[in-house]
Amino acid sequence: MTDRSAGIVSRGAAAVMDFLVVGTLLGLIYGGLRLAELMFRPIMFHVGTVSFLYSTAATCVVSVLYLTACWAVSGSTVGSVVMGLRVTGLRRERLLPVRACLRAVACVLFPVGLLWVVVDARRRSLQDIIFRTKVVYAWH
Amino acid sequence: MTDSEVPPNPVVLLAAGVVATAVGGAVAAYRGAEQLPVIGHLLRRTRSDLVARGERSLVPIKALIADVAAEVVELVLDHLDLTELVRQRVDLIGLANEVIDGIDLEAVIRQSTDSMTAEVMSDVRSQGERADDAISGFVDRLLGRDRA
Repeated sequence: MTDRSAGIVSRGAAAVMDFLVVGTLLGLIYGGLRLAELMFRPIMFHVGTVSFLYSTAATCVVSVLYLTACWAVSGSTVGSVVMGLRVTGLRRERLLPVRACLRAVACVLFPVGLLWVVVDARRRSLQDIIFRTKVVYAWH
Repeated sequence: MTDSEVPPNPVVLLAAGVVATAVGGAVAAYRGAEQLPVIGHLLRRTRSDLVARGERSLVPIKALIADVAAEVVELVLDHLDLTELVRQRVDLIGLANEVIDGIDLEAVIRQSTDSMTAEVMSDVRSQGERADDAISGFVDRLLGRDRA
């Protein structure tokens, strides 16, 4: 693992992949719930429309849980693994669950903070600055 | 067919023993004669001359034998349908199954897939890193920042 912070392209690509992973997870959860409904209430079953509020909330919750779990366990999400990145503390320590959860909430609620990587001299996003974390190349 | 299946004829064994003894005796006598003062030198020279002549004469003989052998083999092959012969005498399906069983196809596929995946991953990551550096360099120049 190097000390070099990753730039916007690697982090952006990882974020897009993570978004796809979250989408897949949501699809699986939705499909599972519908199947369970079909199993337990077959007569009442119908594929209803999902409200915008409900689906947005579900996306946020699943994203936060997914990011928190990945960062607290290994420091890498699926996208980060593909791009060879790792989220660590400033002393290269793994994030504690609370810190990981707060960072995940910040990333989900304010994803634009990632763009600060482009202008920051040390390639930090706003979330990195607030929670004193960094994203480094871990594949070397 | 092995030797144990056909017991050797005692007469043949006796004859071989006599011949071996005679040859051994002749060799020993010749070696002894080579040690003699006057004749020994002459014998040694004659022997080395004969060996050299033998070596020289072996070359055309070998070439002749090789030519004849090639002709004979070609003649035989012309009269043989090897494909039909193999079909008749060899259990091709059994042989193929044995060969396939001997090859660890799963390991071969796994190894090649692993190395290909690792190569693609490494390529994607290094491309990403280069793109990061390019954008950082561009922004640094734009903002007049000096990056060491």
